[in-house]
Amino acid sequence: MGKLEVNVSMYPVGELGDCFLLKFSQDDAHCSVLIDSGSFSNSKASIARLRVIAEDIKQKQTLVGKVNPIDVVVGTHQHNDHLSNFVHSKDIFKEIGMKNVWLSWLDEPGNEHADNIAKGERKLVNKLEEINAKISKITNLKKGQTAQRINEILGFYGLDKQPKQNPVIPQYALNNLKEIAEAISYLTPGKVLSLPSFPEDAVKIYVLGPPTDNDMLFDINPGKGESYDEKLKTAINGTDAFLSALTNFSDCPCDEESYFPFNERYKMDPTEHAGAIGSYNLKGQEWRKIDDDWLEQAERLALYLDTYTNNSSLVLAFEMVQAEKVLLFVGDAQTGNWLSWKKVDFGAGNTSVSNLLARTVLYKVGHHCSHNATLPECLEKMTHPELVAMIPVDITDSHISRKNGWKMPSANLYKRIKELANGRILRMDGNYQSDCPIEGGHADTNWGAMLSHVNMEKIAGLNNEIVTYKIY
Amino acid sequence: MNRTKQVYRYLRGYTLDPGFSTTLDTMSINNTIYRIRWEDLTVSDQANGNAVKRLGPVGEYFEVIDVDPPSRCFYDPVDLDSINILSQNGLQPSEGNPQFHQQFLYTIAMKTLEDFERSLGRKLIWSPRRIRNGRKEQYVGRIRLYPHAFRAANAYYDTTKKAILFGYFKAALQVKGTNFPGGAVFTCLSPDIISHEVTHALLDSIHPRFLENTNRDVPAFHEGFSDIIALLQRFTIKELVIDQLISTSGSLDKFNFLGELATQFGTALAHGRGALRSAIGSYNKKGKWERTVPDPTLYQTVTEAHQRGAILVATFFDALIKVYNFKTADLIRIASNGSGVLPEGSISMDLAKRLASEVCEISDHLMNIAIRALDYCPPIDITFGDFLRALITADIDFAEADENNYRIALIDAFRSWGIFPNGVNTLSEESLQWSQPDLNEVEGKALQLTADFLKDKVRDLNSISDRQIIWERSQEIQKELHKFLVEKKRDTLGAEQWEQWLKKIGITSEPLKLSEPNGRTLNASKSVPVPIEIHKVRPAFRVGNQGVILEQVIVTITQSISVNVKTGDGHRQSMRFRGGSTIIFDRSKDFSLSYIISKSINDGTRFFSQLDYQAVVSDQNTSFTDSMYEENNGFESINFASLHFH
Repeated sequence: MGKLEVNVSMYPVGELGDCFLLKFSQDDAHCSVLIDSGSFSNSKASIARLRVIAEDIKQKQTLVGKVNPIDVVVGTHQHNDHLSNFVHSKDIFKEIGMKNVWLSWLDEPGNEHADNIAKGERKLVNKLEEINAKISKITNLKKGQTAQRINEILGFYGLDKQPKQNPVIPQYALNNLKEIAEAISYLTPGKVLSLPSFPEDAVKIYVLGPPTDNDMLFDINPGKGESYDEKLKTAINGTDAFLSALTNFSDCPCDEESYFPFNERYKMDPTEHAGAIGSYNLKGQEWRKIDDDWLEQAERLALYLDTYTNNSSLVLAFEMVQAEKVLLFVGDAQTGNWLSWKKVDFGAGNTSVSNLLARTVLYKVGHHCSHNATLPECLEKMTHPELVAMIPVDITDSHISRKNGWKMPSANLYKRIKELANGRILRMDGNYQSDCPIEGGHADTNWGAMLSHVNMEKIAGLNNEIVTYKIY
Repeated sequence: MNRTKQVYRYLRGYTLDPGFSTTLDTMSINNTIYRIRWEDLTVSDQANGNAVKRLGPVGEYFEVIDVDPPSRCFYDPVDLDSINILSQNGLQPSEGNPQFHQQFLYTIAMKTLEDFERSLGRKLIWSPRRIRNGRKEQYVGRIRLYPHAFRAANAYYDTTKKAILFGYFKAALQVKGTNFPGGAVFTCLSPDIISHEVTHALLDSIHPRFLENTNRDVPAFHEGFSDIIALLQRFTIKELVIDQLISTSGSLDKFNFLGELATQFGTALAHGRGALRSAIGSYNKKGKWERTVPDPTLYQTVTEAHQRGAILVATFFDALIKVYNFKTADLIRIASNGSGVLPEGSISMDLAKRLASEVCEISDHLMNIAIRALDYCPPIDITFGDFLRALITADIDFAEADENNYRIALIDAFRSWGIFPNGVNTLSEESLQWSQPDLNEVEGKALQLTADFLKDKVRDLNSISDRQIIWERSQEIQKELHKFLVEKKRDTLGAEQWEQWLKKIGITSEPLKLSEPNGRTLNASKSVPVPIEIHKVRPAFRVGNQGVILEQVIVTITQSISVNVKTGDGHRQSMRFRGGSTIIFDRSKDFSLSYIISKSINDGTRFFSQLDYQAVVSDQNTSFTDSMYEENNGFESINFASLHFH
């Protein structure tokens, strides 16, 4: 029997986004796995790039004039930058076809628990959207960065522009996946799958997240005994209060404002009685005013939502059994998701999470290498001498390149990953060569030796090259 | 002119929080009459010098300003001097009357301030506002208190606005504890939350550099210390303690609500499960309250600021219980016919009162030590271990004989929580006490010169009552002392000998040599001489336990370098590294030197450990970073808005 090998291609989406094509082969057996396909914006330029990528995938699925359906398509979580291409290139994907679609248990229709969460999440998205729309109409408030921040986060949900015409792209994408797929599976942590059309023991796929544990771990800092849908409830309550407050800046404040937080008779109009508010309007004291500070709350709520969705990422570890090597794809999982892996049990005869981490030779860095989407204690367990990190980050993305932009990649995490991977980092924006020394390291694991396994492919319509890394 | 002077103002308020007024067994103990210092609530108008009353209340230290921006309104400020209010000991506690909120916020803020001034023996001056990119400082007379600033379950001290913002929110629609579903919950009605936040501001006024997140104990100290004050304040309210002791048969091990903070706040959140914080104990699965068992591993593993701060709180509470058990053993024996074991069930009111007196006294004393110890802390980079040493040293100064075993109890508690100071051989009192400086002849001379220099300048500071003038005068003295240290005395003593003296007080005028045992060295070209800052020259006058009177002058000096650090992917980040010391002179002994509590700037090990810490802090400390897009990587100062109260 020949050697199992896998070619992992990272597509340069040109901005924030993930698109990975894995091609497994052994003798005559072939299997392709597409993990996410999307980018942050839904602009014309973004769509054009994504369509080029879809066409390339189609071409790579073509053998002797025949297009073979993708064996497995994985949608990690419902963010635009991971799924938008299944909307923008629906036609192309339809032509290619998909044999299996793998989604997380949270996307399963009819699962009551999942439905509740999805409902809560959607509600929060809608409320934030409402806040966003209302805030932008209010002219008598200094909005600072608030509106921009909310807008950006809502961008992940594909509804930043003209929400009426263009609702919720990630949800459309899911529907499209379900429509195209021949079979669809909703995966729960602890499940172990094998690769389609391969011998059962060749490649094992372990599901690590998202957690199903109701009592913990869907949050940045879950308290003891706190469950995530209740925290979601707190966030929704927060948006309600915020929306109610915004009506004070319109012509008709909502009824509740007449008794919240105090009876109307206590409420004095600041413009009519400017002198009565003690020292508030004193000259030279403007720096202490708090007229707009309350708006920051909306930004916190938006960030909460974002974290929440990231944590719903489907996390998969592909084990090449004979070679004892593991490929780890974490989506955008944040702390809560990572923490829950400890409790995952793959059943008798299967390995443990620690063991998978120790044998990881390819780590798809979570959330474009933001600082809080890789749990240090797990990262430290990735000690395999051949570890390579693939980072889907493009620092020309305006969210990153602007002043006070998003810190992606996070300097300190990047540094640590680079140490652990002995310099072997592959970046979507092609910025790896200057960073990573060709010298150093073990003879068979250094950068130079690794380069012989890396293929760079330039195609028309994409600014950067498609990076393909071969593992066997 | 009226000859009888007002001394106190009496104002009614909650002891716990409004939630406890709605249950039968706690409503009777939830109200009390607070007694705070009387102050004139008229201020002179800057425009024409006339005395006008600014309602708020606006006093010498605080101004309550009740604007409610999300409701787009403000609430009429209360006039605490009006005859209706004065004659009734203030407004009746009420959640529905914003004027009571203003009164209550003012009351608790003043009470906390008084606790600090009493312990520190001097007038407190808020940390100044930094303007022109931090190059200039501006006097801040009053901290602003905004009782209804925003709509969220949060409250925070805004260090740039010199204001404390209190939020309010709508309780979740669930029946839990004393929660009123959908009702309004005000953080400004929780005495715990108010004293916690005011303590942040007070701590900042004493140690402005504790806002710099230089090691993982610093933010935790800010949080833990603020909770300690909030908790100990509650333990000095006698009617509460009596009630609690009756229901626990005199034991401090079996508490319930008294040991928790912000109960109403906690139960009103949709995901709430009871009080917001319960460092000293919590309910087990059977609903029984259990004390937290000391776990020495936590100090090594817990990094989040509040959780780490909770370790400090628990340590303090352990010490409290130890002293209590020691001090009340005789009372318990008397009450139990010599067996030392009280029968189950309620204890008699007489006994409860006697025991409660002890609890209140111990709490009051512990609070006193804790606050005084702040003057015995290094001005930068505090660790819990430093704080233990400060506590022990302060207490030795104020009560030479440890009659009630406070120090032993504290040492024991810190040990059981695994907190050990650096550079100390044993946990004995003698080794923990900051060492009295051992001066050689040259240093002795230099000290004499410095003391002579300070003596005259400081004398008149004591007699000034206007805080702004104290501040301005101190600034001048600081400038003069700076000049004196940096330039003047070289001539008298010679540069080399003077340098020796500077090193003794933790600073230097020479280039730094920063390297650490395992080899890293800071490039010498970056280690140029660094400016010396005099932070504080303040006399303090305080009365200790056994009639000891301490007249001290506290001087804090710091020095810093800014180093350009290259991070992993080539970003450059500037790191500020500081050294410095707190110097305590004894005025009653002719300005002899009591202590030099220093963290030298010439300390490579500390430099590199700060660098390592700040480089990875964002990965470890999630509460600093609820935003994933703005990596707060520890090089910036602590932001209390994102370091939520909860």
